[in-house]
Amino acid sequence: MAVTTDWQKSAYIAAQAADARVNVELETEGMTLNLGPQHPATHGTLRIVVRLDGEQVVWAEPICGYMHRGYEKLCEVRTYPQVTTLINRIDWLGHFANEVPFILAAEQLMGIEAPPRAQWIRTIFFEMARIANVSLFLGDMGIQLGAITPVFYAFRDREYVLNLMEAATGGRFHPNFDRIGGLKEDLPRGWVDECHGVMTRVISFCQEMEDLLMGNEIFQTRTRGIGVIPAAVGLEYGLSGANIRASGVDWDLRRDQDSPLAWKHCDWKVWTHPDGDSYARYWVRLQETREAARIIVQLLDGLPSGPIQAKVPRIIKVPPGEAWCHTENPLGEMGFYLVSKGGRGPFRVKIRSASFNNISIVPWLLRGVYVPDVITILASLYFILGDIDR
Amino acid sequence: MEKGLLPKPLSHLLNLSRKYSLWVYQWGLACCAIEMGAAFGSPRYDVMRLGVIPFPASARQADLVVVSGTVTDKMAPPIRRLWEQMPDPKYVISMGSCANCGGPYWDSYSVTKGVDQIIPVDVYVPGCPPRPEALLEGIVLLQERIQHEDMAERWKGDPIVVGA
Amino acid sequence: MTRLSSAPEEPVGGPTGEVAAPAGGAQPERDRLRQQMLDVLRRRLGDAVVGSEIAGGDMWVRVERRAWRRLAEVCRDELHMDYFCFLSGIDWMVNPAMSGEKVWEPEGGGVVMEGDEGDAPAPTGIQTGVGGGDSRFQVFARLYSVTGKIGLTLKVDVDESDPRLDSWVSVYRGADWHERETWEMYGFDFEGHPRLRHIYLPGEFEGHPLRKDFPLLSREVKPWPGLVDVEPMPGEEAGAEDATAGAGAAG
Repeated sequence: MAVTTDWQKSAYIAAQAADARVNVELETEGMTLNLGPQHPATHGTLRIVVRLDGEQVVWAEPICGYMHRGYEKLCEVRTYPQVTTLINRIDWLGHFANEVPFILAAEQLMGIEAPPRAQWIRTIFFEMARIANVSLFLGDMGIQLGAITPVFYAFRDREYVLNLMEAATGGRFHPNFDRIGGLKEDLPRGWVDECHGVMTRVISFCQEMEDLLMGNEIFQTRTRGIGVIPAAVGLEYGLSGANIRASGVDWDLRRDQDSPLAWKHCDWKVWTHPDGDSYARYWVRLQETREAARIIVQLLDGLPSGPIQAKVPRIIKVPPGEAWCHTENPLGEMGFYLVSKGGRGPFRVKIRSASFNNISIVPWLLRGVYVPDVITILASLYFILGDIDR
Repeated sequence: MEKGLLPKPLSHLLNLSRKYSLWVYQWGLACCAIEMGAAFGSPRYDVMRLGVIPFPASARQADLVVVSGTVTDKMAPPIRRLWEQMPDPKYVISMGSCANCGGPYWDSYSVTKGVDQIIPVDVYVPGCPPRPEALLEGIVLLQERIQHEDMAERWKGDPIVVGA
Repeated sequence: MTRLSSAPEEPVGGPTGEVAAPAGGAQPERDRLRQQMLDVLRRRLGDAVVGSEIAGGDMWVRVERRAWRRLAEVCRDELHMDYFCFLSGIDWMVNPAMSGEKVWEPEGGGVVMEGDEGDAPAPTGIQTGVGGGDSRFQVFARLYSVTGKIGLTLKVDVDESDPRLDSWVSVYRGADWHERETWEMYGFDFEGHPRLRHIYLPGEFEGHPLRKDFPLLSREVKPWPGLVDVEPMPGEEAGAEDATAGAGAAG
């Protein structure tokens, strides 16, 4: 494998050896352990059944569906403006970022494009959703490994971002702010200045996390070389986002596709890490949060003036056709395959959510690891239940 | 205890101590779980100042459960089982529109339309999701009810709706 | 794994993308690349490629059922589609009751179907989409190449009376869960899948929810005034539908 490093190799070999040993040497009684559906170590309601041989996992299977709400069916019986209300709640931490690919797909079919100011504000909110989402991961990963403090810091600094969201959209959690052809409203007065202050705070929060956790020896021993995903395997399972960038794949849809959103106007970097282990995933997400804050600061400085809504009919009817639109959401690639028949509501919406693919690698990944590492791996893969089950 | 009544000062004292030592079990299911986490785990909202302890090791130690989020048909049996494990007197707060009545998934094929179909609910906190303050208000209202509670009347009370 | 050879070999944690520039260049160039990909598929699969379209910065290819797994192999090995995006199904039957066009008029006291005056009557029957199709059911999947930054949508017809299809699990391991989901939602049988079982719904669930004839019972018993929520603008008569209104300065 071209992108394998020593870390990856040794950990992979160790896992394989453990796997073989489980079957041959040890003659302990097998045991089936049920984690969940409500378990402190799982976010939300994922249930994982692992069969153990001593301390090692022989076989693992996630059982999802405890949060299945039937989005794809519900989208078919709603109109386009109603759908955005619903899809906010797929990945509930990345709220605004869910709306964008759907709206872009509908705009693509309708052949309209939002004015520049709307695109810039969309990008700002998109990145703010990323901060609100990933900052919780940065704290939560600590609590899974026994470090209590980071999660309090995360909740503290996340509030400032949510306050900004609320000031602009009225919704602290589910803004439902994106419209076909633009945005619901313009930014309130004084918002930009306040946002500058909050971004400074976010950057210092990232620094704090780095100081608190990443240099910590316990954190390093518990994450380095744990849950190594080789790039080729990850791609085959459809891993995306920070999970695959932590395996050395340089792929970010914000940069790699021609999108109407405003990322192309800023100077930012796509971070990758060659190791592919839990530590790398944490590291990449930390850098991404920083980059998100940097992107927002640049966008605030260059925010164009003008309208925030293109001309659209009062009653939205999308012309017949099929469109696929995907964006780089906080959890990975999120895409909407939108099929329209010309009506007020979509005919079929296939929601490709990141966590569903990200978590489908778990049976492969957990084989041969020790029980405490199960928690590390699940935490580092970072999934949202609503994003798995939809 | 034939009549199920305690002397007034004694029950007052009992209720006072019960109301300020609520161990709350977090049954976080969906979006509301994050707001519940913000209410319980964040320094800004700090639920412990209300005399509520949000970290019981298991449902068997809990007095109160907050069901926050969408209850699906697949999730309903575990919720019922959890509730049955809790020792009496036990209280249930249903947080968010989904747990109250199905919320935006009112027409879904896989969502239970309200957790009150499975377990009795004491306080409904509406919102999608409710702000952490709303949950705190729900807890305060529940504490008020506990203060004036007569155990014999325990099961006759109507549920509280926050904001109504 | 040589096809990842263009992946970066930077020092640990080095930033890779220097400046955010949209990859791939101009659209006509990308379309030429798509045409080349289509040529490869036609060469390898022959007349099993029954429909294709390159439009709007995307491409669709529809094949016959017998070539479904071969298609995945060709895409993976020759087109370097290393990233498995999703696989799902679609039911092309038009069911007006399930299309979001169902409205509730409180005065009328009943459920009526919205038929737009100027337009043609609401279409019924089966009309397939991009890439064509001959049957009610189709399975479609999306693959992507992280090296070439290009993706394509693949479609295949599924016989309604005999909904069987080759599984992709041996080609893309990630297809496992997607095929389970499609099996659950549509009832298609994937031959060669290790074990098709429920993924979302409890085991005793009956029916296939994403089929168009699966009713949402809550909607049957309780119609919802969801479609009459278009409030008139200030100073405007109610019912002035389809008026173009730029909401730019609104609010």
